[in-house]
Amino acid sequence: MIERDDEELRERFAALRREHTIAAPVFRDTMAAARSRPRAGHRLGFAAGAALLLVALGLIRTVGNRHHTSVDLASVRVHAPTDFLLQLPGADLLRTMPRLGRVSFDRRTL
Amino acid sequence: MSSPAVALEVELERVHPAAFGWALACCGGDRTAAEDTLQASYLKVLDGRARFDGRASFRTWFFAVVRRTAAEQRRRNALWRLWPLSWLGGAADGRPDPAAALAQSETTRRLVAALARLPRRQREVLNLVFYQDMSIAEAAEVAGISVGTARTHYERGKAALKQRLEGERE
Repeated sequence: MIERDDEELRERFAALRREHTIAAPVFRDTMAAARSRPRAGHRLGFAAGAALLLVALGLIRTVGNRHHTSVDLASVRVHAPTDFLLQLPGADLLRTMPRLGRVSFDRRTL
Repeated sequence: MSSPAVALEVELERVHPAAFGWALACCGGDRTAAEDTLQASYLKVLDGRARFDGRASFRTWFFAVVRRTAAEQRRRNALWRLWPLSWLGGAADGRPDPAAALAQSETTRRLVAALARLPRRQREVLNLVFYQDMSIAEAAEVAGISVGTARTHYERGKAALKQRLEGERE
């Protein structure tokens, strides 16, 4: 397909090819470098792992922010389900100072 | 190593200098990118991710592998440059290697400069026909286009290249 008037172009390309052939890396070196490259599977595994890690970190951060409310521990009063067992008859007697002439507890709790 | 693997390596060694020239053409003259592309292409062949099925000649098939690999590297590099940490390095910039440019003669430097200004398809077809001595049908197979399209790129590219080279001479 190369016409006669393309001869000059062909000469130029031939000169370029000669220069490239001289400058080409040694085949064995290129092959050794190719073999030492990380395999595509390894790269994919690494990328998938990194992506999963990023997603997990993002989730942890999002969920953590959503449930984050400041709690003043000093004002917290915990009510256990078994607290009623500790409410004994006459417990008011233990919390009040008896005084003369005055009933300081509720008789109904006795 | 098994004998098909040895035969594959022998074939690769046979086409190695021409494949390097083709990789350079696919990478816009960037030697580092061309070597990287060639290594990745060899690895594809060794891994079996690229399999020679015998439908075309080995050279035509392997050149198509190199072309695809170079395109993948270009896309990856373009994505990498969008990454905020891309200044740390790692991606080739796609520019011709200055050391290689210094080593070129004036004639070839003009040719490379004129080629660089052509559209990619035209450049590829011209390189395959003139540099690699392929027919237009083989060039079409490597470039993954029809023979008619390859012929159009060839004619237009050749006319543009001649015009540019003559324009520089005047």
